[in-house]
Amino acid sequence: MKVEFWGQEFKVNMFVGCIGGFLIAVLSSMFGFGGGPFMVPLMTVFLRLPMYLVVGSSLLAIFFNTTMSTMRHYQFGNFDWILFCAMFPAAILAGFIGPRIARRLSPIVVKRVACVGLLILAMSLLGVF
Amino acid sequence: MNSKGKGKTWIFAAAFLLASFGVAAAQESAPTAATTEAVQVEAVDAQAATAPVTEATTPPETAAPGEAAGAPVSVEIDGNTTINNGGTIKIKGQAPAGKPVFLEVWAESHNVRANRFDKDPDPQTGVRPYIFYLTEHMPAYFKIFAPTTMQDKIDAEKKKGNKWSMSNIIKELGADSAFNVPAEAPIKAYQSSFVASIIGSRGELLSDAPDPRRSMQLTKARFRDLDKVVGAQINLQPDGSFTAEIPMRSGIAPGEYRIVAHVDQATKSAPITFTNTTNFPTVYLTNAGTSMNLIYPFILTLAVTMFGVLMGAGGGFILNPLLVTLFPMLPHTIVAGTVTPTVLFSQGSGIYNYSRINFISWKLGIGIGLAMLAGGFIGPKLTEMITLAQFKSAFGWILLVLAGLMFWQTTPGYLANNKKEQAILKEFKKRAEEAAAKK
Repeated sequence: MKVEFWGQEFKVNMFVGCIGGFLIAVLSSMFGFGGGPFMVPLMTVFLRLPMYLVVGSSLLAIFFNTTMSTMRHYQFGNFDWILFCAMFPAAILAGFIGPRIARRLSPIVVKRVACVGLLILAMSLLGVF
Repeated sequence: MNSKGKGKTWIFAAAFLLASFGVAAAQESAPTAATTEAVQVEAVDAQAATAPVTEATTPPETAAPGEAAGAPVSVEIDGNTTINNGGTIKIKGQAPAGKPVFLEVWAESHNVRANRFDKDPDPQTGVRPYIFYLTEHMPAYFKIFAPTTMQDKIDAEKKKGNKWSMSNIIKELGADSAFNVPAEAPIKAYQSSFVASIIGSRGELLSDAPDPRRSMQLTKARFRDLDKVVGAQINLQPDGSFTAEIPMRSGIAPGEYRIVAHVDQATKSAPITFTNTTNFPTVYLTNAGTSMNLIYPFILTLAVTMFGVLMGAGGGFILNPLLVTLFPMLPHTIVAGTVTPTVLFSQGSGIYNYSRINFISWKLGIGIGLAMLAGGFIGPKLTEMITLAQFKSAFGWILLVLAGLMFWQTTPGYLANNKKEQAILKEFKKRAEEAAAKK
């Protein structure tokens, strides 16, 4: 498939894109996360697309997945209104505060901290300690 | 560095405010003075228990409360009949001498859902059944209390770890007569298949009737810990009188609870009632089946999502595993199903911002989006089919991959490339913003 974006044309291997997107969507809807950190590498590394094309388009692709999985979770009764009402305002608030702090922090330091934190959390989930 | 310090002060200030609010709210929810009221009940199944087989002429209705000959089991609440988000209920009663007594305690006001996916091979044939069992009528609280002398049997079952079995502990205790409320719940059984999973269906409905054996498995699936469903608390005297201090954990559903004392299948007391209350911010989550102080998920979401914004990944990656770890009574299906919609808003606003400056390739986004739509259709059904342990370990591997990705994004090669990419991104974004401004 050919995609035109701001005067440049890109060839996109939709087969790889769709298979990868499908698998990420199954996992992310099954476990309830967004999937952005997996979609961006898929589109930049495997589809060889430039970052400026990926940022917006990957968000749009994920939005399809999140909308559908929200509806399906709701349909199966796996949604709790009160818990949602406790978490949703916090998520909105964080969306406003987060970027303000982000400007003052080095992204590399944040990613290294995140890396260690994720490893610890993963180990505890896997029952290593 | 000063600016960094400022950011931290911000977080601490926000956390302090929230924490102090939580403390203030907790102080408000001091236990309300409960009225002391003892409920005296008599045996209801006296006829079945005491009527000799030869005396067939005895009318069954004579076994009215208060005049039952022999009064097989009686039980009453000795003290408060109201607790506030858990507490202790004192019980005293009388049973026939020399027989074990079991108390069946359950939440009358609230039912929750319990589900289990049976994929264990049949011991005889080795065939995996792949049947999905689901009930909407599991009481939000259910526990059988046994005499304190049976503690060793509970300990023995506990040694099996996750492999403990409800049917086995009930058999060991001899408490068959006390397992009634879950056993009466209608259970839907679905025959799952690969094709059904693809089209996102639970499968063919095999039956919708109570099934005592399956209800024991569902009881375990719902409450998970042996301590949550059985306890040895009854002090039974040789003359058959008994007392018990029943500990009710915090986080249980509010409303009416029932207690029935059982001696055997035919001999049980009439139900007695007590009430559990909760005060805001501790609120009962209907679908999750547990009461919870809402301050905690609020603070957790705030902290985690904020960190998610900083590291460039949605908060869901950290929020989900933390919620199931910190609040074990929240089912993982509810957690996954409730965290997903919280990110919808931020995604939507992101898309709006990019689309305003025409910075989205709709063709590419919708193309891959349709594949993701199909994936999002299937995923939520699979959540129901895995246990919490599987959920946790799968999440562990996902996080390992994510940690790898994060590490890769801090390597020098990536950073050099990313610098170029970001410069191009900024350049194009500037052009797009200018073009949007011109319009």
